Amino acid sequence: MQLSRPPIRPSRIALHAVMILLVVWSVTPFIWTAQTSIKFTRDVASKTPVLWGYETTANAYRNFWLDSDDLNMWGVLAFILVVAAVATALGLIGRRARHGWPWFLGATAVICVALWRFPRIWEANDEYDFLVNSVVVTILTMVISLSIGLLAGYGLARYTGISGAVILIVALGFRALPRTAFVLPYFFGAKEIDDWLTSTGVGSWNFPLIDFPGIDTLQILDTRLAIVLALVAVNQPFTIWMLRSFFIEVPKEMEEAAMMDGATRLQAFRKVIIPIMWPAIIATGLFTMLLAYNEYLFVRVLAPTEWTLPVAIVSLTGGESSRTITEAAAASVSITLPIVIVIILFQKHLVRGLGAGAVKG
Amino acid sequence: MSTVTLKNLVKDYPNGFRAITDLSLHLDDGEFLVLVGPSGCGKSTALRMIAGLEDITSGDLYVGDRRLNDVAPKDRDMAMVFQNYALYPQMTVAENIAFPLKLRRVPKAERTAQVLQAAEILELTEQLDKKPAHLSGGQRQRVAMGRAIVRHPALFLMDEPLSNLDAKLRVQMRADIAGIQRELGVTTFYVTHDQVEAMTMGDRVAVIKDGVLQQVDTPESIYGSPDNVFVAAFIGSPSMNLFEASLTGSDEPDGGYSLALGDQRLAVPAEVVADRPSLASYEGRPVVVGIRPEHLEDASVAPDHPDDQRLDATVDVREALGAETLVHFNLNAQSVDSGDPDALDDLRDTGRCTARFSASSQARVSDQIRVNVDGRKLHFFDRQTHLAIRG
Ligand SMILES: Nc1ncnc2c1ncn2[C@@H]1O[C@H](COP(=O)(O)OP(=O)(O)O)[C@@H](O)[C@H]1O
Ligand SMILES: [Mg+2]
Repeated sequence: MQLSRPPIRPSRIALHAVMILLVVWSVTPFIWTAQTSIKFTRDVASKTPVLWGYETTANAYRNFWLDSDDLNMWGVLAFILVVAAVATALGLIGRRARHGWPWFLGATAVICVALWRFPRIWEANDEYDFLVNSVVVTILTMVISLSIGLLAGYGLARYTGISGAVILIVALGFRALPRTAFVLPYFFGAKEIDDWLTSTGVGSWNFPLIDFPGIDTLQILDTRLAIVLALVAVNQPFTIWMLRSFFIEVPKEMEEAAMMDGATRLQAFRKVIIPIMWPAIIATGLFTMLLAYNEYLFVRVLAPTEWTLPVAIVSLTGGESSRTITEAAAASVSITLPIVIVIILFQKHLVRGLGAGAVKG
Repeated sequence: MSTVTLKNLVKDYPNGFRAITDLSLHLDDGEFLVLVGPSGCGKSTALRMIAGLEDITSGDLYVGDRRLNDVAPKDRDMAMVFQNYALYPQMTVAENIAFPLKLRRVPKAERTAQVLQAAEILELTEQLDKKPAHLSGGQRQRVAMGRAIVRHPALFLMDEPLSNLDAKLRVQMRADIAGIQRELGVTTFYVTHDQVEAMTMGDRVAVIKDGVLQQVDTPESIYGSPDNVFVAAFIGSPSMNLFEASLTGSDEPDGGYSLALGDQRLAVPAEVVADRPSLASYEGRPVVVGIRPEHLEDASVAPDHPDDQRLDATVDVREALGAETLVHFNLNAQSVDSGDPDALDDLRDTGRCTARFSASSQARVSDQIRVNVDGRKLHFFDRQTHLAIRG
């Protein structure tokens, strides 16, 4: 007997057509951008679009990222590929390993060293600083948001009193407000603090160890710190709610068993609850990462010169810069690819994070 | 020596609900005490207070001479088996069992040896490298046991550890747990809503209802002389039949009593009255009389029975179980609410009586039968206080 295929109904055809349309709709601009980034300006500017058979070049990438005009880009590509491959391999091993965190730490270290060495191997442009800003802001926002979110989410999941409910509702309220509503208050607040620091003289002190590199006086506006603080603040309701919903699914008996087995409450949290929560932590971390990495408005307002990549790219398109459309395209592709890699690596967690029930025993 | 003493324990939950009222209990070293009661009566609360997972509102908890009220759970040297087992999903079976040892910084070699030993006792050796998700219910249950026995605690606490297993496995594990406990000699506080578990496993059984302790005694005594109507009805399956009846002095020369049970009369044997002198003060008043199903027999199976200890009945339902036959009939008498929430169903049908006949009984539905009552096994309770009438 033959296995019968599901009958082809008009509704199915329509469904598939809509899905294909959606995919084309969202992928076309990216493919277009990717193509643009490796074309010569004459092909991009041609009246009839040149869709294939064009001559390719890495000029746009070189011009956007590097100070040199004639460097062979194959070396740079090889460097990036090697770094990406090593980091990915470490990450994959870490995901399979029983104790994953040394491997993840290794992957992070490889990326950090690469980011640090890159401008010393090749002459990097100012834009490279924006990349570093993006990475630092994203990682710091993730780490701080997750730390607060884990503790608060755990507490609010276990404590069911009235004040817990109030905190949750207030958090939800802030989440629901448009972020635009916060940006000016943050700006003025930071400005007040900076004025005060200046007036007391503290602002002109040198804190080489405390400050981020590149800022030699104590201030808040126009630092990565300002961006991180603001992003943590606006993102915190989300991480708390999301992590709390995962904590609720971990039976209370889990930590009680640990405590009966001889653990303190903190040990129970660290050795039993957190390992169960890893998928949830990764999912929440990914959402936070996307938010911080993609942020435009807060960076633009709170850090007039310490940009991250999204601001840097937008500045290329607004006629503010003499640089070409191919460079903007190259920049877009450069900023997107790392995220695409991370999402592909962790898409399982991301999908699970969107639905509940990721941490069943 | 790990004796356990609970002195007037009270638990008020933050919402004001009093879950445990004045609970006093004593466990001897190595004793297996089962706390049994209907669900929601405060068994888990009591256990969790001993474990330190719930605060004690008032009263004292001692293990040996040490007062434990304000000691953290981890320092109480107790091991607990949870109803849902609470195995750590990210750890293998071996890691689960080793976890308490690891927290105590037991050296690795010793740890491995002890885990292997525990696994052997529980027949888990094959499963040591698996994660809990890949185990059957019975295996998970045994891993939870393993985590408890591996560290030789002063006290085992078990909260309905068998209620998630199917019936057959439950019987098996009942015997296994009791056996392991006896072998290790660890004092054990075991909580269940299943009176069969209580009767078969416990050295002593404590019956609790609505947070109030009803009776503590050996299984035999609890079954043979329940202190009140609730214990009488709760222990034993099928439940004791409980009716209101009035006690009247009989005209017989030996001065015995008889019971008016609905529209029928039942003689109370003289020895029963002799055992309970205070019964005399109930003469002419209603009492609660209890008859266990197993003390009723089809008269046609056992014809040699005093005629005044027989009742007439019409069979309503017959359940042949092979080794015995349960027969339900209606006595035209007022049933008594024992206070067991699970028994409420039966009460809608007031006057219903269950008898446990031997398998040779030929009684069929709608048959008119005579039922022998073993008068020596009757139980009497005060109608107001529901307390047993004795002494
Ligand atoms: N945290 C709590 N707050 C208020 N009431 C509770 C709480 N936990 C349990 N109770 C109530 O206390 C009673 C006893 O609960 P529990 O000890 O879990 O019963 P059992 O284990 O005998 O089924 C129940 O009526 C339950 O509703
Ligand atoms: Mg319970």
